[in-house]
Amino acid sequence: MQSNHWKIFLATLTAVLGIVIGWQVIEPQTASADEQTYTFATNNTFEPFEIQDSKGGYSGKNPGIEIEILKKIAKHEHFKYRLKAMSFNGDLQALESGQVDAVIAGMSVTDERKAKYDFSTPYYTDGVVMAVAKDSNIKSMKQLKGKTVSAKSGTSAALYLKKNQKKYGYKIRYFDSSNTMWNDVKTGNTAATFDDGPVLQYGIKTGVPLKIVTKKPIDAQPVAVGYQKGKNLELQKKVNDGIKWLKDTGQLDQIINKYTKGNGTTKTTAADHTILGLLKTNREALLRGLWMTIELTVVGIIFAMIFGVILGVLGVVNNKFANGVSSTLIYIFRGIPMIVLAFFIYMGVPNVIGHKVPLFLAGILTLTFDEGAYIGAIVKGGFESVSQGQWEAARSLGLPYSKALIKVIAPQGFKLMVPSLVNQFIITLKDTSILSAIGVMELTQTGTVIISQNMEGFRMWTIIAVIYIIIITLLTWLSNYVQKRMA
Amino acid sequence: MDKKYKVQVKDLHKSYGSNEVLKGINLNVKPNEVVCMIGPSGSGKSTFLRCINKLEEPNSGHVYVDGYDIADPKVNINKVRQKIGMVFQHFNLFPNMNVLQNVTLAPVELGKMSKDEAKKAAMHYLDIVGLSEKADANPTKLSGGQQQRVAIARALAMKPDVMLFDEPTSALDPEMVGDVLEVMKRLAKEGMTMIVVTHEMGFAKQVADRVVFFHDGDIREQGTPDQIFNHPQHPDTRNFLDKVLNV
Repeated sequence: MQSNHWKIFLATLTAVLGIVIGWQVIEPQTASADEQTYTFATNNTFEPFEIQDSKGGYSGKNPGIEIEILKKIAKHEHFKYRLKAMSFNGDLQALESGQVDAVIAGMSVTDERKAKYDFSTPYYTDGVVMAVAKDSNIKSMKQLKGKTVSAKSGTSAALYLKKNQKKYGYKIRYFDSSNTMWNDVKTGNTAATFDDGPVLQYGIKTGVPLKIVTKKPIDAQPVAVGYQKGKNLELQKKVNDGIKWLKDTGQLDQIINKYTKGNGTTKTTAADHTILGLLKTNREALLRGLWMTIELTVVGIIFAMIFGVILGVLGVVNNKFANGVSSTLIYIFRGIPMIVLAFFIYMGVPNVIGHKVPLFLAGILTLTFDEGAYIGAIVKGGFESVSQGQWEAARSLGLPYSKALIKVIAPQGFKLMVPSLVNQFIITLKDTSILSAIGVMELTQTGTVIISQNMEGFRMWTIIAVIYIIIITLLTWLSNYVQKRMA
Repeated sequence: MDKKYKVQVKDLHKSYGSNEVLKGINLNVKPNEVVCMIGPSGSGKSTFLRCINKLEEPNSGHVYVDGYDIADPKVNINKVRQKIGMVFQHFNLFPNMNVLQNVTLAPVELGKMSKDEAKKAAMHYLDIVGLSEKADANPTKLSGGQQQRVAIARALAMKPDVMLFDEPTSALDPEMVGDVLEVMKRLAKEGMTMIVVTHEMGFAKQVADRVVFFHDGDIREQGTPDQIFNHPQHPDTRNFLDKVLNV
């Protein structure tokens, strides 16, 4: 009967994981019989090239430069396409393994890549630009001596800064996200920032109070669609024809300008920057972030409980090997900082298994292992604090181990565990914010994104903090009520 | 294994590390016999009792209960335990259940009775221990003496062939002891085979068919209550009785 329970458990786990993964797949366009369908790998979000809508698709009004280009070309050249959104590395891996026909993901044409892939006609030139605060009087790199400048680590901008550090005598600070980096310029901590031209242009267009001072992009490189070498020649021709048509008709410039110049995409009306005003403008985004936080918490707690109870039971059963497995897993997962675990699952594991781990799934797995380890320790401790006499009384009646555990020990143990478990649930809710590091659009990440647009750090973080306190208060009330009912 | 014994123990050894607490015990218990085990604390009598239903694992020797050798790994210990009722010093009632559920749990879970049968049987045994009106009570709300009587009813509900009592009155306030001993006397009179570890010399004198004196991991002396209490042969026995009877 033991093994039967296991089977049921595994089946449930697989089913739920299946559903979770299912959510992440973007619904394909319906293909008609006479038109060929191609699969394009693209980025999740890489403004302004790709901009996902609230549902994670690209059906919004402003899906990004490349998506708009692809849409027009497909219509003009009579083919259908399906999009697969992944990280850029995932895109390249999918292309190499033939899972997709092409990559359209802000892909720069470099010499190394040319040796490996075929490229379409470039439709854009991407390069690093330098930006300063709106009221700054810095105009060129010569004015940067002794000042601090910034770039995202690992980017070509960072390489460029490193290479020229001696020449201009600045200090470099590295960031992980454009938003925090830009904000640092706004607050005056860094004098100038170096970032992708279109990304910065789009940011400024949507309200970031910086200005670009370089006339021409540094290290400019063309951007194009990539294919496996020598494959999909028919598609290659169609795309090139389409790009030529877009250029000739001026539509290409229109699309690019829409995202990088003037103010066509987002309404930058004189926004209300009081807390109430911010709440009103960002209501939808905040609710979506809050909902994601709750979803992560609930699904995360369910799986962490399952994992934790298994760990706890393995820790108390009469089997040295099982005890060892339990304490080792608890030791490992409690010992790894959650953010490292999240990076490992989201960015490390795909290298080994050969395809990406969907973001939501990565978040849930992180919570399951990390919180599950803590819950495992709580469960184990709870069982162990039930007196030995209870075991002896149950076993002396002839109850087998499993029945004694389920009927006698577990109910008493769980009662002892409730306060610690409730505490762990609250911690889980707060810990979901760590998943913003891998880009899960939960409440904290929502806050980061909103602030990158309106630069209202103090007010927005106040709002976010208050939202957390409110839901944690509600959760505490609920658990007090449940505990009272149980007592 | 001799068929005429309910419980037969042969050369039972038990050590904790280098400390040998049972040094080769032999004991036969006939059906309907009441055996009381006395002796100083640490003499091994409780450990011996717990070896009979394998709450302690013997290092060597044999324990036959109803013909099953509990030292044999092929014997399903859970089945044998169903025939051995045990009553503990600290009652060990299940606090997550009411009194009735404590008594019906094992018969129902082990498929011995339907829920209704078990309930009827439980009420019968609670009646025997004089607590049928406490069926719905939470065991933690009962006095020690009441809890111990529920524990006896819980053991009886499995219709055991033999009952083990491990110092059943040691944790009780003096005024509670009588009620529990009364119940045990009644069981003895009705023919229950019982092995009782006790410090109640009066009970041993009055109820036991045989008194076994434990000393230093061994049986020093055994015999009828009259032999042990009135004509002890071994100096250790005399010494012990002097101490417990002349307080």
